[in-house]
Amino acid sequence: MRPFNTVAAELRKATTLPAVWAGIAVALFGSAAITLINAFSTRAALDAGHPEARAFTSPFETAFAAMPLGTVGAVVIGVVIFSSEYTAHSVEVGGGRQITATLAAIPHRHTVLAAKATVTILLVVILAAITMPVTVGIARLVIGSAGAETVPLDDAVERCLGGAVYWALTGLIALAITVLTRSGIIPLIVLIVSNSLVSVSLLLTNLTPLAHWLPDMAGRRLFGGLHTVEGGLDALPGALVMTGWAILLLTIAAVVLRRRDA
Amino acid sequence: MNLVRIGNVIAAELDKLRTLPAATLTALGTILTGILLAAALAAADQHVEATATTVTLRSVPFVQVGFVLLGILPMAHEYTGRQIRVTLSAIPRRSILLAGKITATALTLVLTAAVTGAASTAAAALTLRSLGAFREMTADDLWHLAGTTCYLTLIGLISHAAAVLVRHLIPALVSVLGLILILSPLLAGLTEHARWLPDRAAAQVYDPHDTMLTAGTGLLVALAWIVLIAATGATRFIRRDP
Amino acid sequence: MIQIDGLSKRHGSRTVLSDVSFHALPGRVTGFLGPNGAGKSSTLRILLGLDRPTAGSALIGGRPYPSLRTPLRTVGSMLDGSGAHRSRTARGHLGWVARSNGIPKHRVGYVLEQVGLAGAARTRVGRFSLGMGQRLGLAAALLGEPEALVLDEPVNGLDPEGIRWIRTLLRGHTDAGGTVLLSSHLMSEVAAIADDLVVISGGQVVAAGPVAHVTAGYATLEDAFFGLTGGPGAGEER
Repeated sequence: MRPFNTVAAELRKATTLPAVWAGIAVALFGSAAITLINAFSTRAALDAGHPEARAFTSPFETAFAAMPLGTVGAVVIGVVIFSSEYTAHSVEVGGGRQITATLAAIPHRHTVLAAKATVTILLVVILAAITMPVTVGIARLVIGSAGAETVPLDDAVERCLGGAVYWALTGLIALAITVLTRSGIIPLIVLIVSNSLVSVSLLLTNLTPLAHWLPDMAGRRLFGGLHTVEGGLDALPGALVMTGWAILLLTIAAVVLRRRDA
Repeated sequence: MNLVRIGNVIAAELDKLRTLPAATLTALGTILTGILLAAALAAADQHVEATATTVTLRSVPFVQVGFVLLGILPMAHEYTGRQIRVTLSAIPRRSILLAGKITATALTLVLTAAVTGAASTAAAALTLRSLGAFREMTADDLWHLAGTTCYLTLIGLISHAAAVLVRHLIPALVSVLGLILILSPLLAGLTEHARWLPDRAAAQVYDPHDTMLTAGTGLLVALAWIVLIAATGATRFIRRDP
Repeated sequence: MIQIDGLSKRHGSRTVLSDVSFHALPGRVTGFLGPNGAGKSSTLRILLGLDRPTAGSALIGGRPYPSLRTPLRTVGSMLDGSGAHRSRTARGHLGWVARSNGIPKHRVGYVLEQVGLAGAARTRVGRFSLGMGQRLGLAAALLGEPEALVLDEPVNGLDPEGIRWIRTLLRGHTDAGGTVLLSSHLMSEVAAIADDLVVISGGQVVAAGPVAHVTAGYATLEDAFFGLTGGPGAGEER
């Protein structure tokens, strides 16, 4: 009963945080907007009879190009679920930080972290379950019958699941790093950078193949499709390596959280 | 008399940045990252006719992240506690306060950008020399260096403007990083109109490759964005109760 | 002298202050009393130019606060603790505050000594106790050797020694001809130090004047407070 209550409390805390909703909005509306622009460009190229001007004309690929924004959303959720505990409040509203109240309610710190991890996964998975069908739907609606769907359904479902797993793992890594740093600055920078074209791990793969084992490089094949660099781990072993990173970082976070003073 | 006053405000804002560990760490960390990246990139690029300048230019997309944070902190740290009250009671004229803050931030950004550019170039040159791949630098290289200083300052100012608008650190950081690292490359792959985005326009200053914008017009477009965003934020800051 | 005249403040349809008027005179400590949410902080925020009034004016020495060129040399204030950033040192905080108003640097060391924080000058504010934060806020208020002091709950978090110290400090300030406006909901503190009282309730001034005048007909200041603000115990004593 107690773990359930803790998760319920953390879920309530998270859903009453405006920053969590901002993260969800970034992922959902950002992806939708990008898909819309992308789909109209694809549609225009098809109508003009120049499909070769586009990298792909499939509605699914068009929608999937917006995936990185969902990752940003997942990072924001993972970060603010913990960093909000450490925001200093005005003396007028009682002063102090929320972590004091949280630990007074649930003194067992591992339970708190586990509950926060559960809530992160839950929110990110729900986010994926809404964002992915919405963006694919938008792309289909705009491109219509002009562009043939080249991605078979089972492939599409698999890649959506893979993308959701990548988002959830990224959210967990964001949570773990935030526990360690107590501020959102470092995890936000590290994780947004590592999911961009200027990814440091991508740069490192030029120097050493070991960089393919870094979490973002290991997990990138979960998205499938065209946008991957040669070499590195396949989807399944990559997913396992990334999961390993998430578990490792969360374990370190749990140890640190228990040992240090709140 | 007004000159003295704005001078005091700028000096106070510079004091604030100097005594804020996050700001000094960001500046030093950015310079150090630039040096390490330049050395690593020089080692990786030694066989492709790299010069110290081309290596430094390659490191710009990475070190710009430091300038994003350095541009955001001067505004956002006012709101992590209740410091904004003290600031406003010391300098009640909000327009003067903002003018002083933006000037102090710009000075800090230019200085950090110039040091980062020079230190990265030196690190790249030393690495290339030790690997026996050094090429003499020309006057053109100095222009490129000035261009990177200008670009990094512009990125910092865009971030500062965004922070004036949204005030708090996390939303400012997510929106600027999301724009320059995720949205802008994504849109650039989709539409040629992406050249009008603030970071893409600013990039013309150090890496002119666009078919329409030049270094000069790119700079103007970026400045227009900065003025637009900062003016929107400033209007709200001056009119509303904090 | 601090003059509040016909001050009103509305947030949408909610009225926070309606027609608040009172004066705080030089050479006297004016206690500003009222229950939580009565409008004390709103009045002080408007006085210090943080919020704008819907109507009316709040003047210090005949001028609105935002028009003062170097306000900290005229009014020292403390609202809601020190307001210093957690990661700055006490000296770093006072340093930029002094610089912003062209106050000489030696004042920083002087006020740190004066409030008893000289030993903690290089400590980060995040490590301060509530009382130390309060002392730092007072140090910032005293920095510009102002004529007027505006203090919101200054004894909050101070130990008994600190409370005695602040009483002496404020008395010394008014004896030298300065003005002190001090808000509090701690009756005994206000009773011990104030010369004049302004009692506010529900955004309106319900009583103002010398302490003896305001408390006339009540056994204690506390009874007067509840009687005037309509709190528990109202009307029992009269």
